[in-house]
Amino acid sequence: MFIDIACSQKKKYNQNAYGDFFASNRFPNMNRVVAVLSDGLGSGIKANILACMTSTMLLKFMESHSDIEKSCEIIMNSLPVCKVRGISYSTFSAIDCFEDGKAKIVEEGNPDFIWIRNGEVLKPEFQTIQSKDFKNRKMKVYNIKLEKYDRVIFCSDGATQVAMGTKEYPLGLERSGLIKIILKKLEQEPEISSKDLSEFLVKQVELIAPNRELKDDTSILSIYCRDPRESLIFTGPPFHSEKDSFYAKTFMDFKGKKAISGGTTANIISRELNIPVVADMSTNRGKLPGLLKMDGVDLVTEGILTLTKTLEYLQSGQSDDDAARVLMNFMLNSDVISFLVGAQMNKAHYDPNLPIEIEIRKNIIKQIAKVLEEKYLKKVEVQFI
Amino acid sequence: MEKITVKVCTGTTCFVMGGANLQELNDIIAKKYGDKVELTASNCLGLCSINWEYSKAPYVKVNEEVVSEATAEKVIAEIDRQLAK
Repeated sequence: MFIDIACSQKKKYNQNAYGDFFASNRFPNMNRVVAVLSDGLGSGIKANILACMTSTMLLKFMESHSDIEKSCEIIMNSLPVCKVRGISYSTFSAIDCFEDGKAKIVEEGNPDFIWIRNGEVLKPEFQTIQSKDFKNRKMKVYNIKLEKYDRVIFCSDGATQVAMGTKEYPLGLERSGLIKIILKKLEQEPEISSKDLSEFLVKQVELIAPNRELKDDTSILSIYCRDPRESLIFTGPPFHSEKDSFYAKTFMDFKGKKAISGGTTANIISRELNIPVVADMSTNRGKLPGLLKMDGVDLVTEGILTLTKTLEYLQSGQSDDDAARVLMNFMLNSDVISFLVGAQMNKAHYDPNLPIEIEIRKNIIKQIAKVLEEKYLKKVEVQFI
Repeated sequence: MEKITVKVCTGTTCFVMGGANLQELNDIIAKKYGDKVELTASNCLGLCSINWEYSKAPYVKVNEEVVSEATAEKVIAEIDRQLAK
């Protein structure tokens, strides 16, 4: 089971900083995801700093402590109280979940999360922990077991209190109103991704707000338990050419999305499986060779130049309209990415006459794997063949 | 008369050795020859790794004739030669 997590936010009208803050981290080796959504008191810069501090500190605590409850309690007991309003500086929701479905959720001050299974809202049991230092502070601790296709949605009070005081929504949209919108959307698009769902919900909240002016920062954090989107990228000719046929077959039998990065690699697979490769001159754009086409393969690109550029794009987050962007999007649209890296060197690439230095494939792939794991929280496997 | 097929190799070696500049053939060929010549890109033709001939990239194939160290001028010359036959 894969945990698809995404958060979408909108600022309070006329503010230039977000007063809610979302932080998360994925630990592929432990099959674990942790996330925190915090709502800072007030709005603008002050709220932003409060929420940012609360969530990043809590996230770090959760990462180092095995017990989320303990971490949350420390934060709850140490958050200061606003002198003017006499309330907490920030509220938070924290989740620590594993891919086997075991999850622990702690909430302090934020609206109750919404847990949906098969179109029904579940009502999980919780335990209340009272703060020793502050009378009006308590946190709710949930121990739940998620199942495949479950959805868990957290929000800041900006979402539930939107349009409060209007004729239509005297008490705001409320949790029940938000649930109605979610259930309707899920009925229309049962497989909607977390990213799309959270963006949709924030947009809906904004549409409900009078004059579309949000009176408070609004965040929706969505979690979706689903099958991982797997992809396989084959790059480089296998070291032992007698194994070409075996690897070509392994590649084609792969069930997820498939890409080949390398002209020679594409030729080998084409030869072994008797599927023609064709080049498309019209896709030659910028400084990279264009795309190739092959039946049964989702994407075929040139090898080392495109990979080098893809790494650059992944690191900088900016890209041009070329084959490397297509390859980057291919990677970013997957959750689990496997690389089959052929170790055979292409002699022609190490000709001193070449005007540019060509990187070694192995090193590039290692760096791509690292950035995909660390920056984009993907699961990556690399196999050298 | 049969159409002449021009294949430009877009493999890594050819591309960095000047194949990228051969994109200009797109316009030249369309203007000069119209339907008589068809230009296509090709994935690695495999010529760069034969007999260590790699330093002669980029390669272009005009029908079955290989043009090594190809430039737009050399390719046009080869097309003209074949058309004159």
